[in-house]
Amino acid sequence: MNVWSAVKTVMFTGATLLFFFVIWIYNPFSPHEEYELPEEAEQIINDPKFAAEGRELFKQNCASCHSLRYDGIYLASVAAKPEWSKVEKTQGKPILEEKDGKLVVRGYFVPRDVYEAVAVQDLESLKATFGKVPPDLSTYYLARGPGYLYQFILDPGRVLPGTSMPKLFMPEYDKEATRKVAKIVAYMRSVSEPPPGEKAKRTLMGMVTIGYFLVMGVLIWIYRKRLLSKMGY
Amino acid sequence: MLRRIVDWIDERTHARDLYREQMIDYKVPKNLTFPYVFGVLALITFVIQIVSGIILIMYYKPVMAHAFDSVNYTIMKEISFGWLFRHIHAAGANFFLAIVYLHMFTGIYYNAYKKPRELVWMVGWVIYFTLLTTALTGYLLPWGQLSYWGTVVTTEIPASLADAPILKSIFAAIGETISIWMKGGYKLEDLALGRFFGLHVLLLPLVLLALVSVHLFLVRAAGISNPEGYEIDKKNEPEKLAPFHPYVTLKEGAVAMGYLALFFFFVFFNMSHFLPADNFEPADPLKTPPHIAPEWYLLGFYEVFRSIPSKFWGFVAFNLILILLLLLPFLDFSPFKSARRRPLFFIMFLVFLFSSMILTILGTMAPTPTNAQLGMFFTFLVFLFFLSLPVISFLEWGWYKARGGRS
Amino acid sequence: MEASRRDFINIALGGMGALGALGAIYPILKTLAPSAASTTEAKVEIDIDSVPELNVRVTSWKGKPLFVLKLPPDLSQRYDYKVRKDLKNSAGKLNQELLGDKPVFALIGVCTHLGCIPLWKPEGSDAVKAPYLHCPCHGGLYTPWGDNIGGPPPRPLFVPPQKIEGNKLIVGEPGFVEQLV
Repeated sequence: MNVWSAVKTVMFTGATLLFFFVIWIYNPFSPHEEYELPEEAEQIINDPKFAAEGRELFKQNCASCHSLRYDGIYLASVAAKPEWSKVEKTQGKPILEEKDGKLVVRGYFVPRDVYEAVAVQDLESLKATFGKVPPDLSTYYLARGPGYLYQFILDPGRVLPGTSMPKLFMPEYDKEATRKVAKIVAYMRSVSEPPPGEKAKRTLMGMVTIGYFLVMGVLIWIYRKRLLSKMGY
Repeated sequence: MLRRIVDWIDERTHARDLYREQMIDYKVPKNLTFPYVFGVLALITFVIQIVSGIILIMYYKPVMAHAFDSVNYTIMKEISFGWLFRHIHAAGANFFLAIVYLHMFTGIYYNAYKKPRELVWMVGWVIYFTLLTTALTGYLLPWGQLSYWGTVVTTEIPASLADAPILKSIFAAIGETISIWMKGGYKLEDLALGRFFGLHVLLLPLVLLALVSVHLFLVRAAGISNPEGYEIDKKNEPEKLAPFHPYVTLKEGAVAMGYLALFFFFVFFNMSHFLPADNFEPADPLKTPPHIAPEWYLLGFYEVFRSIPSKFWGFVAFNLILILLLLLPFLDFSPFKSARRRPLFFIMFLVFLFSSMILTILGTMAPTPTNAQLGMFFTFLVFLFFLSLPVISFLEWGWYKARGGRS
Repeated sequence: MEASRRDFINIALGGMGALGALGAIYPILKTLAPSAASTTEAKVEIDIDSVPELNVRVTSWKGKPLFVLKLPPDLSQRYDYKVRKDLKNSAGKLNQELLGDKPVFALIGVCTHLGCIPLWKPEGSDAVKAPYLHCPCHGGLYTPWGDNIGGPPPRPLFVPPQKIEGNKLIVGEPGFVEQLV
């Protein structure tokens, strides 16, 4: 390999790696919005033990307008309907959680069209009040991110001017307000992300898989070298 | 015992003869460079997509009311390892297109589209086009905001024919007809989702399988190209050749392992680009997301399209680039092969490569007037590359004749 | 030295290859495994008070129809079912021996002939002047405990593992019936 070859190799390899880095890993040119997350809130959000409390706070404060079907939470007015528990049992799939070593039913996942059919009046009246149906929040932790969610719940009008979502938490009057919002976000995170035990398993799986392929690559290379030298190439 | 089974099969299939003929007796030049591995990596990625796709199709529901949940609840949360196969399939789609682009640029650099390999190139072009269609149809399936609106943008592009300077009504009718037929109606609903699903899951993979088989057959029929640009003669220079197995097979095997290590790094630890946040919001036909653009593998074409003020000429421009790509073997009729020995071609190749990369990156940026000006400049450079090919060929024919017909 | 080093790499490659194949197949097979939700199908609890007497409550257990019957305690004395005593369940006994004295019990509501779901006839009929189970497909006849009276079925109705706990009948856990018979 002469100098010119080396130059070409470096140029093409470098350009390719740089291109894919920008496109796939971090693009400094494309528009990014950053939503600030104060440290205390970040600590609460990253701590899975606040998820249970967050779930209760969600049911009290959010479920009057928002469902979260992936964890079996439906519009409060719909869940209160007498036929709802029949609907859940016949049309829904149980969502299980482990409690004291046994699997218990935490709620039911009801398909969207079944839920929207049973809830059609309630959803229409929400639409009349707010202009649009407040969305189901099951995947919103992934769609918006913790910073956005925290800032939005604390002050919807500031983050999304013109939104019809009211301000529900008043830090000026409630000392716990910011912590409550963080706990709700912590709960939403627990619906979208696997629990820390499972996360650790996946990390380990990843490292083992990558390590395996690297070792296999080296082994094949050595095997080939030996085979070729034996064959005289 | 194993030997007895292999003997039994060999008596009935002559598999050993085939093996010896295709793996040992088949000789390949020893100077093949690293980029020659991209073809095999593309094949491996194809297999990964098929296997992961088979798992996903068991649980995915191609109905508007259930599509999003079947992916984000059933597959991602309910089914054991469902998340892993979804990650593999999403990352695989992106890797497949990246490798195919690298493979195409390699072919262009080494002039692997010239005689006797014009058909290889053209079948490859059809594969590229089919692959883009497969990616587009697949992207709609999760039915997220980006899936829905990205497809709306794509199916509306033919409607830009209505901006034609002449025969406006005819072009408008054609454009609208194409747009409506793609969707199966005026809106993207269950009919569109159903047909995109059928295309993505059955028809297009079968077409790809057939095309790739033809492509591989043609590669073997014409022989693998050479980075130096001249065909190595088995009889004259036998020392420059080595048996396909183990020289090439194990080299590609080792590189494939490294590729898979890189692939699985993304699968486990860096999916944020392949599963963009906005697509975790279920599709809402009444709300367009603030940043909507096609995926990176179409952004270059998209930037060309949106930089040109007239929608009609933008549409013509990016389709022209595709057609020029198909006609490469005929645009470049120079007797010389390989950028290694063609300094003028080498320079224009660099222009083309960097313009394509820059156009793609410009596509990720907001559509400001500066962006459009830069877009038009680099579009011009891309067309310059294609137009320079016949000019360079003409010059090089002159040099070829002057050298008495020697390369 | 040369030979053993080469053999080592052969073995290493072969072993790693096999490991890789297993590692790839494992998650594929696991996606096919029954989901956690389906484990809830394996146990059913029925409130004894909710079943009226001489009545059958139909529900499901492990995907099959489950008949929960509550019979008056003197039923077996009142009627003389001409039980086919030669047709026994998997434990080699008649169902009545297992279930006759229980206030409430469960049977798998699938005819043992060709799989239709029998009908409960509490009033009896011209053919059988007593409460009985009648399969409409080919005329199989069973006592309220599932033993054969007549027709083509080759054995009594299946009895799932079950136990009584307080005022609940729990099907799917061993109790007065330990396993499926």
